[in-house]
Amino acid sequence: MFSTRLQEKTRRDFLKLAAAGVFAPSLSGWLPVMARAATGKGRAKSCILLWMDGGPSHKDTFDLKPDSKGAGEFKPIKTAASGIEISEHLPKLAELMNCGVLVRGMTTPEGAHARAKFYMHTGYREGVGGVNYPALGSIISKEVGSTETAVPNYVAINSRSYGAGFLGPKHQPILITDPNRGVQDLRAAVSASQLDNRTGLLSKLEQAFQREYSAEVITDHTTTYQRAMQLMQSKEAKAFDLSAEPASSRSKYGTGRFADGVLMARRLVEVGVPFVEVSLGGWDTHQDNFARVKNLSGQIDTPMAALIADLRDRGLLDTTLVIWMGEFGRTPHINTRGANPGRDHYPRAWSLAMFGGGIQGGRVIGKTDKEGATVIERPTTAQDFLATVCELMGIDYNKQNETPSGRPITIVEKAKPFTDAII
Amino acid sequence: MRFRSLTLFTLTASLIVLAGGLTPVEAQLPKQGKKLKKNAVAPVPTTAPTTEATPPAAPAKPLPTVVPAPTTKDAAALARLIDAEIDKKLTEAKIPASAACSDEEFLRRAYLDITGVIPTAEKAKAFLDDPSPDKRARLLDELLADPNYGRRMADIWTAKLFPRDSANRFVQKEPFYKWFESEFNANTPWDVLVSKLVTAEGDVTSNPAVTYFLANRSIDKLTDTASQHFLGIQLQCAQCHNHPFTSWKQTEYWAMAAFFSKVRADNPKNPNKGADNGKIGVTEGNGPTRQRDFLPESAQTVPAKFLGGEQPRLNPQQPYRPVLAKWMTAPENPFFARALVNRTWAHLFGRGIVHPVDDMMPENEPSHPELLDALARHIGTTGQFDLKYLIKAIGLSQTYQRTCKVVPENKSDVQLFSHMSMKVMTPEQLFDSLAQVTGLGKDGREAKGAKAAAKGAPVGARDQFVIFFLAGADMASAVSYEAGIPQALRLMNSPITNNPAVVRSLTAGVTKPAEVIERIYLATLSRRPTPEEQQLLQEHVARAASTTAGYSDIVWAVLNSSEFTLVR
Repeated sequence: MFSTRLQEKTRRDFLKLAAAGVFAPSLSGWLPVMARAATGKGRAKSCILLWMDGGPSHKDTFDLKPDSKGAGEFKPIKTAASGIEISEHLPKLAELMNCGVLVRGMTTPEGAHARAKFYMHTGYREGVGGVNYPALGSIISKEVGSTETAVPNYVAINSRSYGAGFLGPKHQPILITDPNRGVQDLRAAVSASQLDNRTGLLSKLEQAFQREYSAEVITDHTTTYQRAMQLMQSKEAKAFDLSAEPASSRSKYGTGRFADGVLMARRLVEVGVPFVEVSLGGWDTHQDNFARVKNLSGQIDTPMAALIADLRDRGLLDTTLVIWMGEFGRTPHINTRGANPGRDHYPRAWSLAMFGGGIQGGRVIGKTDKEGATVIERPTTAQDFLATVCELMGIDYNKQNETPSGRPITIVEKAKPFTDAII
Repeated sequence: MRFRSLTLFTLTASLIVLAGGLTPVEAQLPKQGKKLKKNAVAPVPTTAPTTEATPPAAPAKPLPTVVPAPTTKDAAALARLIDAEIDKKLTEAKIPASAACSDEEFLRRAYLDITGVIPTAEKAKAFLDDPSPDKRARLLDELLADPNYGRRMADIWTAKLFPRDSANRFVQKEPFYKWFESEFNANTPWDVLVSKLVTAEGDVTSNPAVTYFLANRSIDKLTDTASQHFLGIQLQCAQCHNHPFTSWKQTEYWAMAAFFSKVRADNPKNPNKGADNGKIGVTEGNGPTRQRDFLPESAQTVPAKFLGGEQPRLNPQQPYRPVLAKWMTAPENPFFARALVNRTWAHLFGRGIVHPVDDMMPENEPSHPELLDALARHIGTTGQFDLKYLIKAIGLSQTYQRTCKVVPENKSDVQLFSHMSMKVMTPEQLFDSLAQVTGLGKDGREAKGAKAAAKGAPVGARDQFVIFFLAGADMASAVSYEAGIPQALRLMNSPITNNPAVVRSLTAGVTKPAEVIERIYLATLSRRPTPEEQQLLQEHVARAASTTAGYSDIVWAVLNSSEFTLVR
């Protein structure tokens, strides 16, 4: 079966090369294309994406413009990184900015929530080319994760997030809707001894069927079931159980579903999960922007600071990339919606933050004008950013994966990563 | 073969040149030769009053005929043609065919392929115990007449033509699905059905076919979906640049797109804000559509031209889509019948004669070009685009009725059809089969009612199950096992496979363990247990804490087994 897959692949590569005009008589030249080429740049093993659903206001978080029109109510404060100032409502993160990089020149084309979320997760515009593109977590699951062990490769906490697209359900996230309840269906419906009887029976049926038909799909089925059973019984599954966390350490993260999710993310990274996404909603602040962003800032400051400090203390910060971002920024001006106005969707210029993962902290990539309205230095596209994440994770973003119908799709297209500026 | 295609490819600058250089072989069909020759020489006669055919400079590759096909609708004769062509290639390659499948294999395979659900224990028993020699043919007829056939086909085609896309969250899916179900059950000829879709006008309630346009609401999406699904061609890369590895040029893309340039599809609105998305629909105006988002940035305005064919003269006062539909669905269209045959073949074998199934570019050679051409020509003419007839003919062939079991000499064959490929149940097949055994989602489909459906939300247990098992994919791959840990956990630990009522119903009225075990096997695996299995399972029941616990273990194990979830 492997050889036949190779054949398909080979044929495709041939066609591509023929089309490109590289029809060389020797075959040796193109064989290495099929191998996974490590970039050699990144050393991160895990990535935690803190997803700020709704689109956080850049001017009220990481790119304050105190003297501009529409400056808003918040004051900037100094951080541990000289020359970098952030919102006064993120004081704990300010102390850790020497581990962080701010990307202040994000500029993207999608301004509607669903499409922008899809775009920032996949690097592709939804619906284009009739392909369902995989999200970053699924890409990392595919390229970095293991399909042999019980450790899941992609865990999404608090919301549905985005799935594996054409990479298939093997790379879809395990969804945690409530961090305090853990993984759905993880507990057996029967006693341990009866489960033993059942799995023993199942394994006999599987062996007999495989003896009769010897097909690769049977092995795939068996492998998936074995991984699921291993997870049910594994010590790794304890990472999903927040009650196992000492109270003193838990309290550092604060309370609430996001704080619980961030704590779970740390526990998952500790057992080797390569991608965890934790989402926090409420950032769509068309109205009452300042009270809401202040409150949301409080919800992220404590757990994020605890996460970064914990990873650092455990020696994991260098190999764990933490990303804070949403689907776009918010208008530099303040709208006129009622007594407590807000800011509207703004993909043209916005910010995101990265910590750990082997990057040199205390740096800023890109710059907006004095209003925070236009990127005037190092505009960064979604593709530039996603390719940078890939490089930090040791993934060759130019690699192509095939859809089930055999179309090659580049992991990230048309990207100019900024990895060299931050490592 | 591959090298030949590559050589051809490197030598030809375009499809036009490639097609123009080949002479169709058609000498072997004396009875129909005359008529077909006429078609082959002058393809695409557009008789619509608003169009005038300009002589094509270089016709697209016509369908050559090298294999005699039946001259009447004769499924058995068509099956013999299939076998002759398949066997010819196997002989050439010196690869032996696997043995014929058992009745048990045929039964479950035909049920799942045609109706999307396993047989009940009673149906399985009746078929297996039927001694008559023509029972397989009769089963095919019975299954093609079963209303579940329409549901199975609606599952396949709704997934293709109604993408799961955030733009479609307010588009009603249910009327479209039901429409497909009834069209397929009525066995509307494929050319008629596709014409209905491509030319659809009106609102969702009066003509659910318009949903096709509401769910693909921009000129590029429409061009992509129509070429991919009805012509078997992936054009989308040519939207923004000349296709990297085929001959399609960017202008050809926009020339096809031009047929959709006057379509006006209403924008589905949020039903929570009072919108009635059953009332929205599609019209075709007199001028180019200027709706927001209908034209992408890359759009080019070029005159409408059939793909690889002529440029019809269009009257802007008349709708363009009927002209497109007429060209598209004509028996002599070089893509349409081929695409249908290839899709139907892939549906039944897990792999097309052209693979990937919708990449029928000239550079991607069919494994059995003569067979594909013969079937395409036959189904488009004598076969009257009768889909049930095509499925029956393939189902009757020895090629379809081979076992999945390989022999060492054909183990590595994937494209000569020496053995049946082991398919994986789609999420819909899995749900419906589990539902039949366990009563899963009994109150499912309509449970959330019209309100949720109007929002485009998943309706009921079946949709939710499918979405969970697809996990973001458009559709499941036919032959690779895709389920991951969350799906395995759901099947092992949720009430689906742990419901005591299932054991109660399977054991009702039966007392002997051997009989209970046989009934469980017939109801789930559509076969009787082997003597070894009987012994193993009876011992298990005897050892279990209670007989009920023992039986529940067996039900759990078979429902979680690969034999249950695979289509052998």
